[in-house]
Amino acid sequence: MVTLLSNKMSFTGLVFLTVFVFVAVAAPLLTPYDPQGTVVSGRLATPSWTVFVTGDVGYSQNTAFADLGYVTEGAGIVTSSNIGTDSAEFVVTQEASQSTGSKIVVAKTLSYPFKGSPNKFVGSVIVTPSGTLPVSVDLYMERVGVEKWHMWTQSLTVSRDWTPPTPGGKLDSLNPGFCEILDICGSIYNAAEVIFVRGEYRYVLEIALPPGALTTTIKVQEFSMYLLGNTWGLLGTDNVGRDIFTQLVYGARVSLIVGLLATFIGVGVGLLVGLIAGYLGKTVDEVLMRFTDMMLVVPGLPLLIVLVAVLGSSLFNIIAVLGFLGWMGFARVVRSQVLSLRERPFIEAAKASGAGTGYITMRHILPNIVSLTYVNLALSVPGAIVSEAALSFLGLGDQTVVTWGQMLQNMRTAGTSATNPLWWWAIPPGASIALLSLSFILLGYALDEMFNPRLRKRR
Amino acid sequence: MGLRGYLFKRTINTVILIFFVITLNFIIFQLMPGVQGAIANLISNPRRTDSAQVERLMQLYGICERIVNGDCIPAPLWTRFSKYMTNMLTLQFGDSFQTGKPVLHDMIESGRLVNTLTLLGIATAISLIIGTLLGVLVAARRGSFFDSGWVITSLITFSLPTFWMGLMLIMVFAQQLNWFPSGGITPSRWILGTPPLLDQILIRARYLFLPALTLTLFFYGGNLLLTRATMLESLSEDYIITARAKGLPERTVLFKHALKNASLPLVTNAALSFGGLLGGAIITETVFNWDGLGLWIWNAIGWKDFPVMQAMFYIIALCVIAANFVSDIVYGVLDPRIKYE
Repeated sequence: MVTLLSNKMSFTGLVFLTVFVFVAVAAPLLTPYDPQGTVVSGRLATPSWTVFVTGDVGYSQNTAFADLGYVTEGAGIVTSSNIGTDSAEFVVTQEASQSTGSKIVVAKTLSYPFKGSPNKFVGSVIVTPSGTLPVSVDLYMERVGVEKWHMWTQSLTVSRDWTPPTPGGKLDSLNPGFCEILDICGSIYNAAEVIFVRGEYRYVLEIALPPGALTTTIKVQEFSMYLLGNTWGLLGTDNVGRDIFTQLVYGARVSLIVGLLATFIGVGVGLLVGLIAGYLGKTVDEVLMRFTDMMLVVPGLPLLIVLVAVLGSSLFNIIAVLGFLGWMGFARVVRSQVLSLRERPFIEAAKASGAGTGYITMRHILPNIVSLTYVNLALSVPGAIVSEAALSFLGLGDQTVVTWGQMLQNMRTAGTSATNPLWWWAIPPGASIALLSLSFILLGYALDEMFNPRLRKRR
Repeated sequence: MGLRGYLFKRTINTVILIFFVITLNFIIFQLMPGVQGAIANLISNPRRTDSAQVERLMQLYGICERIVNGDCIPAPLWTRFSKYMTNMLTLQFGDSFQTGKPVLHDMIESGRLVNTLTLLGIATAISLIIGTLLGVLVAARRGSFFDSGWVITSLITFSLPTFWMGLMLIMVFAQQLNWFPSGGITPSRWILGTPPLLDQILIRARYLFLPALTLTLFFYGGNLLLTRATMLESLSEDYIITARAKGLPERTVLFKHALKNASLPLVTNAALSFGGLLGGAIITETVFNWDGLGLWIWNAIGWKDFPVMQAMFYIIALCVIAANFVSDIVYGVLDPRIKYE
């Protein structure tokens, strides 16, 4: 262990590896989001630090309309009100003598501070009137004193929860059913049609009451409007608006699990085959080594692809297939080592003192192979990690977990339609694969140097 | 044992290997649950109403011994296996699920085979030449900055995932700089009419550049490192000192005396890494949308097109076996020691 730390190469490898293991274990602590579910910002948002690199060429961040307030116009008197952050409840009374109706204007305001427009906006509202009906609503967004974008005008005739007639009742600027109402469909950043400069904006719900005597209770819930920016966090977002950092962190888990487990299986099988072939020799050796050679010739990745395609691409299958296709090289190494050990005097001595085959193998041969096993463990992991990433990249990965290869596959699918390179999405997963592989390779070389006296002398 | 005996042994070995691959294929594509059902479905597929085709496929696969009132009486395993063996040896892979045409026909008619061979051939040739050349030069200047620089560079390109390298190249050279197209083999407007031959070659070269570069970057590093290692060994031999003492020019010493003697492991390595190269080709073709055998496998996976998958896997394995066989022969011819083995 001390040797490992004093060697510059293995020290680097160990540091990287520790970081990756920490990240994989502590994933839920490092990020609060669900890698496959949570939408955190606008689509394809660049990392928020890009503003420091390129200067502000039109960046925006997540923001929301806030400060819910209301005013009444006309004769109606609000006799009681209950204002929350996203909800409000009014009891309105109106005298019979009034010939004109009255209006309650509920609004949230936003002083939009960014140079760029948001990637999209998502809003919602639920209006529940009761008492004297009908009342009519007019929901709009407004750049104060300049322009209004009406999103929902309707007369509410019965007492129930009313939502805008858009899909899911959501006011999602990218939803075709909604953007048509505003006539802003067409661009993937169509929120820019509405909010495009710094300034004062309002998100307004006007509730108009008819003339005449009435007492109406109006409940407004989920009255909110969020603007999703075009920059986000450390590593930006993907084409759905999910956090790439979160995906990267959770991807480390899968890569480490797959890499280590597959290698354990491979090394285990290799050790077994090599020991049996080397120690039993003769026909067993011949048959096992012939089989090993044949497996070595069969092209690895195509076999892997075909097997996973046939068996189904669960994580378990991928690990098993990777493991059972990765033992051949090590079996050969073990066998040759056993062959050489078998002729050593101490084995002969053990035999002469009456030790059986099993005893000699376990007590005398195996301990002499352990160092080889460590080296091979470290050096085989990168292959498994890269193969898993390749499988995921080809769309043969487990779709229920996030992996680095899958991130790259998603990036590629989305990237073909993107005009600008999606560098913040493409670089981190690949670099992580390379770095994780590299740290195992460095560690493996260092272990090799430590255990292999021939190499040590050369230094 | 003479050269003839050696070649005979290698040939026998190769034949055994082919049978092994066919058996492996049979296990994967005939015995795995799900696949058999898919093939049976294909035969009884309502879309395939052409009774002649169904009859031909039934004959080909031999899954059913006979049909009684539309029910399949399964044939014994041994019959199916021998049938499968014959089919594979005579290259009858059945019909593609995607097109309904024989797999071999699809493979050759569509130009996929040529496309893959072009890509692979060019990438292999370039990376062999560059890798070997650089390996020799680097070994000649052992310990210099030039040496360590190239060793580190090739280690890095060697360990980077191929598909990522491809994506990065697309991002930089296709999307950002717009020097090369980001994928495909020929521009889509060629459907309307092709330009004169010279322009065609230039445009095709532009399309070929990035995928070939990706594969080259994937392949040259290992070659460079191996050449360097074997060259270092052979440069420390006595005959090199003799050659230098004779006053031979350094180039002759390096390439004629040292490289020639160091070339044996390179031949073996080129053959052994052929399988890896084919794997790299599948990924590269997918990344660059290069319509070759690799992309075809990828499409076949999406379609669960088992006839195509088994054919491709078999053919790729055959290629690797052939490469190994050729390298064995070359080895036998190049290395006189083989004869005395």
